[in-house]
Amino acid sequence: MKRLTIVLALASLSLGAGFAFADAKRDAILADLTAQSKTADSAFAGFDAARGKAFFLASQSGGKPDTPSCTTCHTKDPNAKGQSRAGKEIAPMAVSKTPDRFTDPEKVAKWFLRNCSSVLGRECTAAEKGDFITYLAGL
Amino acid sequence: MTLNTNQRPAASEPMGQIATSRARIWDLPTRAFHWLLVLAVIIAAKTGFFGPANSLDWHLWSGYAIGALIVFRFVWGLFGSEFSRLDRLFGALRQLPEHAGGLLRLRPKHYLGHNPAGSLMIIALALVLLAITATGIIVLGGVEKQGVLAAVTSYDLGHLAKGAHQLLAYLLMAMIVGHLVGVFGEILLLRVPLVRGMITGWLPVPSDTLRSKWRPARPMLALLGAGFAVIAIGAPLLPLSGLPAHGVPTPVVAGSTYAKECGACHWSFHPSLLPKASWKLIMSSLDQHFGDDASLPEKSAAKISGYLQANAAETADTEPANRLRDVNPDDPTRITKTQFWQRQHHELASNLFTNAPVKSKANCAACHRDALTGHFDDQAIDIPQSTQTGDSP
Repeated sequence: MKRLTIVLALASLSLGAGFAFADAKRDAILADLTAQSKTADSAFAGFDAARGKAFFLASQSGGKPDTPSCTTCHTKDPNAKGQSRAGKEIAPMAVSKTPDRFTDPEKVAKWFLRNCSSVLGRECTAAEKGDFITYLAGL
Repeated sequence: MTLNTNQRPAASEPMGQIATSRARIWDLPTRAFHWLLVLAVIIAAKTGFFGPANSLDWHLWSGYAIGALIVFRFVWGLFGSEFSRLDRLFGALRQLPEHAGGLLRLRPKHYLGHNPAGSLMIIALALVLLAITATGIIVLGGVEKQGVLAAVTSYDLGHLAKGAHQLLAYLLMAMIVGHLVGVFGEILLLRVPLVRGMITGWLPVPSDTLRSKWRPARPMLALLGAGFAVIAIGAPLLPLSGLPAHGVPTPVVAGSTYAKECGACHWSFHPSLLPKASWKLIMSSLDQHFGDDASLPEKSAAKISGYLQANAAETADTEPANRLRDVNPDDPTRITKTQFWQRQHHELASNLFTNAPVKSKANCAACHRDALTGHFDDQAIDIPQSTQTGDSP
């Protein structure tokens, strides 16, 4: 019984540490985006989840015709699974549902590059990326 | 019951009016052979002509049954009772001109056992069925990369055999019609209950027939003969069946750079599904990737290109690799624009590809369970039910 308690305690500790670790990595990405945003706009006053939500739900123009919005593939509900245009399942965007979201800088860079190009026809600004992550990390 | 016992029936008289006794002409193994063959041919023809593709196993097992039945019947033709014997069957051919003459006048003579025209048909049917079985096993080995010949049969040979297999199958259908016309023609002309005869074995016999000459069945010898046939056919095939199939590609490895990067948006298309030139085109235009931007860091792109080139359609001998190599020149990167893909999928409802869960024509793995192996076996097809009504055109 005692041993089980220790095992459980250790397990929850490492799980908690894992989350904390993931959060730290995400915070690092956000810090980097904050720095970039400040360089781009001296009046930058921090990321905003509400702006991120609007960005996520908006119908964009300038991108490829098959992908007018983030929601084309990710659906309007970030807690739900999405589906790529080729039929592949996409894990929910909400960090509460997919804890390792926005923790790998290379992966984050690759997907923003691709998907901003597909949906908006341009690269996203650091502020847009930061709002987006802030919105989905807060769900 | 007995009439005209001393009088030989005139050749031109319908037998039913004169025959006075009956005898068990067809022994049980011959009758069982006949009806099991009918059943196996019906299953093989239904699944062969009308599919669906994933009923291939039914087609295979009915085909194996047909082959085994013909081999058994050959053995029983050596050791069965009088009218099952091959020498009777071939001997009847000598009276073919006489029988044909009678048929032309619509007054054929009654023969015990197989009549001459019937004998000819039975021999031809057995040969055609054997040829269909043999070509089928070659198709299975070469095209499907399954069965005992998979290790030693190229796609090209299998494809050639497929043409012969299909031609022979149509010929068989025509011959079955001929067989039925013959049987029911004789029933009408001679009033001999042939169908009942093939069920019970009993048929009318001219009363003056010398039954003492009828040889009995030799079941023990037949069993030995059947055992010998199994060994003679099985011995050369057994070592072949253990060899790996020819030209079958390696499956996509889960967790590889290719599977991780390309598999993020779509199933990891097996590299054998497109030729080298098409993969090169795809990898050089990732920013315009079927309506999406799928740009990759240079390092992983180079790694993926190398993998695709080394495992492209040219390196495999499966049916999809051979057929999809023939890309549509107007759209060489789209598998779904090839003639082969379209012919294979034209019977499917078009909304299957727009509705969940398949959603896209590019989602091969939604129905092909073995897509990642590149095999695309007919038996591995599972078409899911559409779960939503989509906006199909």
